[in-house]
Amino acid sequence: MKEVRYVITDPLGIHARPAGILVRTLKQFKSSAVLFKGDVNVDMKALMKLMGLGIKQGDAILVRIEGEDEDSCAAALEKELKDNL
Amino acid sequence: MALDYRKCAQEIVDHIGGRENVAQAAHCATRLRLVIKDNSKVEKEYLDSVDGVKGMFESNGQLQLIIGTGTVNKVYDEFLSITGMTAATKDDVKAAAAAAQPLWKRLLKPIGDVFVPILPAIVASGLMMGLVEALAKIPGLGFAESDWFGFLDMVANTAFAYLPVIVAISAARVFGGNIFLGAVIGLLMIHSALTNGWNAANGYGVWYLFGHNFMIGGFTIGQINQLGYQGHVIPVILSVFCMCQIEKFLHKHVPEMLDLFITPLCTVMITALLTFMLIGPIFSSLETIVLNFAQILVKNPLGAMVMGALYPATVVMGLHHMYNVIEAGMLSSVGLNTWMPIASAANFAQFGACLAVGLKTRNAKTKTVAVPSALSASLGITEPAIFGVNMRFYKPFVAGMVGGAVGSIFGAITGIGATAYGVTGIPGYLTINNPIIYTILLAVSCGVAFAGTWSFWSEEESPAARSASAPAPAAPAASAAPAPQAPASSSEELFDQKAIIKCEAGEVFQPVRGTVVKQEEIPDATFAQGVLGKGVGINPDGETVFAPMDGTISSVAESKHAIGITGPGEMEVLIHVGIDTVNMNGDGFEPFVKEGDAVKKGQPILKFSKEKIKAANYSDCVVVLLTNSDDYKEVQTD
Repeated sequence: MKEVRYVITDPLGIHARPAGILVRTLKQFKSSAVLFKGDVNVDMKALMKLMGLGIKQGDAILVRIEGEDEDSCAAALEKELKDNL
Repeated sequence: MALDYRKCAQEIVDHIGGRENVAQAAHCATRLRLVIKDNSKVEKEYLDSVDGVKGMFESNGQLQLIIGTGTVNKVYDEFLSITGMTAATKDDVKAAAAAAQPLWKRLLKPIGDVFVPILPAIVASGLMMGLVEALAKIPGLGFAESDWFGFLDMVANTAFAYLPVIVAISAARVFGGNIFLGAVIGLLMIHSALTNGWNAANGYGVWYLFGHNFMIGGFTIGQINQLGYQGHVIPVILSVFCMCQIEKFLHKHVPEMLDLFITPLCTVMITALLTFMLIGPIFSSLETIVLNFAQILVKNPLGAMVMGALYPATVVMGLHHMYNVIEAGMLSSVGLNTWMPIASAANFAQFGACLAVGLKTRNAKTKTVAVPSALSASLGITEPAIFGVNMRFYKPFVAGMVGGAVGSIFGAITGIGATAYGVTGIPGYLTINNPIIYTILLAVSCGVAFAGTWSFWSEEESPAARSASAPAPAAPAASAAPAPQAPASSSEELFDQKAIIKCEAGEVFQPVRGTVVKQEEIPDATFAQGVLGKGVGINPDGETVFAPMDGTISSVAESKHAIGITGPGEMEVLIHVGIDTVNMNGDGFEPFVKEGDAVKKGQPILKFSKEKIKAANYSDCVVVLLTNSDDYKEVQTD
């Protein structure tokens, strides 16, 4: 299991497009990922639920990744987060 | 069983955020249709459990509560009175609904409305009467002389003997009058001081209210025949209709402090005068004309055929009670009642038509009414079948007339007759002189009517079914806002019924009016490359986004420009209005739904301003994507 922590810096937060990018990135791997925002968590492959969290600038998120390729998956997600959010 | 309409309405109001949250209210045959200003104030979980609310859903932007036929209007009335929305609203709705129908349907509708609630009473009586009378005709049984017969006969004919009272009460409800005043009018029409209508042939007294001073032809104004209206329907409905109009007029014009005694007093007085001086005489002259006409008609087979066709119409008018006179006359002059085969053919044809409705209908309610009504008709008591079923759907009634005509001419040619009078249909076997021919006659009448009904009547065409399923025009609300589903008068846009995305789980319809463009042509790389799933773009003409399928709102972006919907087969659809419009922070977007809301295909879910998007210098292209298109084998976009 790998964990990625990140604080959103993008002023618009995780809206449709960045959420889509995250989901798409994740789907290239076999691992599953759960995104935590405070007490709430969602399956990160579910775009709608991810968007539904309404994650905004300044929100701290935690992504917990599990699977055979969790290392590369975590690295890829972290990169996308930093690049886009 | 009886529903407390006021309590039901009150609870509905309580759970939809009160009066302030209702933009419009209307009802159709089964549903209370509300246009809600703020859906988030609606407590759906409570609404469902309100006693009287059988179900709820949202459609066309309306919150629709299923309450049920005959009940919804009562709840609606209470709803109006609780919310203080004007009664004019209701009348406008009724008028608008009525105006859309041809005249004859408008005339037939109240008769059906009056009769449907009282059907249990007349079905019970009709069946029992048929059985009791049949038993009484069996020779050698001695049933007719037994005390049981006396008792059962009384029980059986109660609803028919006092039919005007039951009809009057029901009519008062339908026409919006006081039901107790309605009952008074009904009781008056069969008052024991009047000669029973069934015994009219024995003579009756006459009052002359104004002496013999005013004559029109042979008719004296102010002449009141002391004759009851036993078994009558139409005169009672007419009288009560007048009563309700008078009552409503007086309620409106009499000062409130006098209203309680002036209005009922004048209502009953004027209605009584109208009934006995105008409506009564018109009907009694009609009866006489029909009687004379019938006696001439039955003398030859063609006339018998006409009579067989018209017979059910005379039942509707309540004129068939006079026929005993004809039958008695035949028996005493030639010893053979040739009227009975005509009546039997006509009645049995109504049975056939009603049975066809009962077997063909898919509506459980219609079935439960039609089957026992048909049974009763087979025993010669056709009122339940005619009023409760055949006439409401009108085609079965016509098929029954045709069947009656065919049977009658057959009966007249073969010359069969009965040796007594009073029974038709199956009990008619007890009095008929040729049971084999009689069997053919019944089979022919019933068969023709059944076949006619079976082939020409279908559920969708019937006025009753239509009123139950067709959307009633929404009420012009207190705010006089245009009804959302009225296309002509409304600035609202119509939902385009065109599927733009198809996969094995279902179809996604075009959510906004406009030109569909291919995904690659969406002016945004992320969308165009299918990063978020397969889909299309729409260059919008309209500004309203409709739900593209039934489903649940899975997300509404905080900036209000994008809505996610989860539909059948877990299809996840994202509707994203405009490109980069997230930067507008919700300005120019007005969602009607929130996360977790259930939506129906075609329901407006979001309104946006093309002008504001343009002003912000973004593309207004509406992107519709199946975000989990990877989960499906075949996804087609248009």
